[in-house]
Order: sequence, then C-alpha cells, then structure tokens
Amino acid sequence: MKNSVHILIFLASMLFLISCGDDTCNLETETFLKVELHTADTNLVNEKFLDSLSIFSSEWSDSIYYSEEKDDSSLSLILSPNSEITEFIFTSETEEQKDTLKIYHQNETVFLSPECGFIVNYKIDTFISTYNIIDSLKLLNGNISSNKDGEIQIYF
Amino acid sequence: MAIYQVIKMEKYKYIFSLLISLLAFSYSFAQDDEFYADEKVKEPLLLKGIKFGVNVGRFSDFQFKPDRSSYEASFDFNLNNKYFGVIEGGYSEIAIEKDKYNLNSEGTFIKIGFDYNMLKKWPTDFLGIGLRIGRSDFSQSADNIEIDLNHWGNYSSPSITKSFDAYWFEASFGVKGEIFKNIYLGWAGIVRVQLSGGKDADFQPYDIPGYGTGSKSLHLAVNYYIYYQIPFNRK
Repeated sequence: MKNSVHILIFLASMLFLISCGDDTCNLETETFLKVELHTADTNLVNEKFLDSLSIFSSEWSDSIYYSEEKDDSSLSLILSPNSEITEFIFTSETEEQKDTLKIYHQNETVFLSPECGFIVNYKIDTFISTYNIIDSLKLLNGNISSNKDGEIQIYF
Repeated sequence: MAIYQVIKMEKYKYIFSLLISLLAFSYSFAQDDEFYADEKVKEPLLLKGIKFGVNVGRFSDFQFKPDRSSYEASFDFNLNNKYFGVIEGGYSEIAIEKDKYNLNSEGTFIKIGFDYNMLKKWPTDFLGIGLRIGRSDFSQSADNIEIDLNHWGNYSSPSITKSFDAYWFEASFGVKGEIFKNIYLGWAGIVRVQLSGGKDADFQPYDIPGYGTGSKSLHLAVNYYIYYQIPFNRK
C-alpha cells in the first residue's frame, strides 16, 4: 500500500513536466534612429518644405516620406546592417538642392530572445553632412538598441 | 444583538483554538529538540548506505522537448538516514532550428551539497530539504542568422560562438520513498538562484546546463529521480 502511494504521487507529480510554451515574439525587432525635424527658416515653413520631404538611401528600393511617416515632427530611420557607414539623402519637391547625411557607426548583432531571434544594435561614432538645406544637426543619443532609440535633431 | 453575541463567541472560540494549536505546536517542537538532543548523544554517525540515482525527468525531454537531450545522475552517502552528502552531475545538449537562426548549446554541470531528512517514523524513506552549489561549463553558438529589416531587406549575420561558466545556489524540498527493497523513487521542488556567470549582453545563454533558462536569475524546477541504494549497517 505504501509503495502504491509512493508510485501514484510520483506519477501525478510528473504531470507538471508537461508545459506549454508561447513561441510568439512580442518585442520590437528593429532598432531605430529617431530623427527630429525642425524648420527655423520661414521660407521653408511657408513652402511647406517638410510636407514634401523624402529620405532615401542609395541601397534602398524605396523612400521614406515625411508626410506619411511623421510622428510628432519626427521619423524613424534604420541604419545599415551591412556596412558601418550609412548614407541618407534628404530631398524635397520644394527645393532644388538636396543634402547628404553620412553616419559612421558600429554594428552589433544581439540575441534578443529565443522567440524573436537576433537584432542589430548600433553605436554612432560620428557623422558628416552637406548643408544646402540643412542648417545644423545635433546628436542626442548615439546608442541604438531595442531598449532605447537613437536620437538626432536636424534643423532646416 | 443576539447575532452579534454569537459572532463574538465564535471569535473567542477561534482565538482559543488558535492558542491551543500554537501551544501544542511549540510543545511538539520542544519534544523534537529533546528527541534530537538525546539522539545526538546516543547515536554516532554511521554510513547507512550509498545511493546512485538517475534523473528520469530528463528523459521526458525526448518526448516534450525534442530539441534537447540532457542526462543527470546523482551519488549520495547516507549518514544515519538523516544527513546525506550529495554530488550530482550531468550533460546537456540543445540544437534549435528556427526560421531565422540555428542555436546550439552544449555543456556539463556539477552540484555539491547535502540533504537533511526530517522523517523519524520511516527510517528508510526521506522527506526533507537539500542545499547545493552548482557550476556549469558550456558553450553556445548560433549560425544561419538572418534579420529582416525594413528598407534594408534580409541581413545575414556571421556565426557567433561563445564559452561560459555559471554558478548557482539551490534549495530543495522533496521526498524519496523506498518502493522496493533498496530501490527509491523521489521528486523534489527546487529553487535556483544564479550567483555569477552565465550572462552576456549580446549573446545571452538560452539554457545553462543543470540550471535552466539562462535569462532568469531565479529558477523553479522539479526533479524526478530513481535511485538504487547499497545498504550498510541496516537493521
């Protein structure tokens, strides 16, 4: 009788081994450089420069349009995972000239979680830009990870 | 008013019962202390058996976690069926194939500690607590890593391999019953607390052999063992 009780308790407790796992990724798997856009020039404001602003990279097959992507006068860019230099070109239908922003960064492949897999984090070392329509730039946060976006301010 | 008095009476009855229970509990502990004090004087520590065990819970991985295989064995020496010196060790291997990456982990672990049997009535069985210090050495690698990024498309990252060690402390509460002569079945609920190692900001271990999920500093587990005991000095 005592042995049967032992075996029953043992087998019943084995049921705890059967557990269900959730294989869904609930985390952000892209890491962003948040770009705040400010227009100080009244001519640009009057021309609604930002509404026709688009950003693209020579390696992309598409562009980002401020009018579509804007969120509180900012938009989010992803740096290149293939290279340690990312080039963005800023252009607007209201302006003949364009500007090129070149960002130098380090890339780090990071294991986010078993469900989400790997992501790329970035650390911005420096940047250079042309200043045709851009007036100034200010890097606020150069460490880009899934926990925190990078942050740069661009003044036109 | 009558209802209020009944409630009041019931309350006093509960308080009285609680006090009696507490007194009885304290008295039984006092008796235990006397019992153990006498026993310590009367009974010298004697080797009553050496147990070899296999963690059969690990075999369930073949059914429920086909991407891992792990083995764990235990050795303990039994002093008066009250104190047990314990050494446990094992090996774990994980091979996960996902759409966006493959992950492999392989390593060994060892745990050293003791168990204390709180049972007095059945001298061959066990119901008690255990404490262990564990160490694991393992490596983890990932390949075929692909990351989908908006605008940039699919990025293939180079393979990653890293070696780790990890230390943890564990406390357990469990039972072992002698189902046939010298054959025991047992299970234990375990709390593991990670002490050091086993962390990496970029490539966090998926699993620490012998410990569990690498990202958790506190881990709960259940072990299921079957043992064979070589008896010594058994009456």
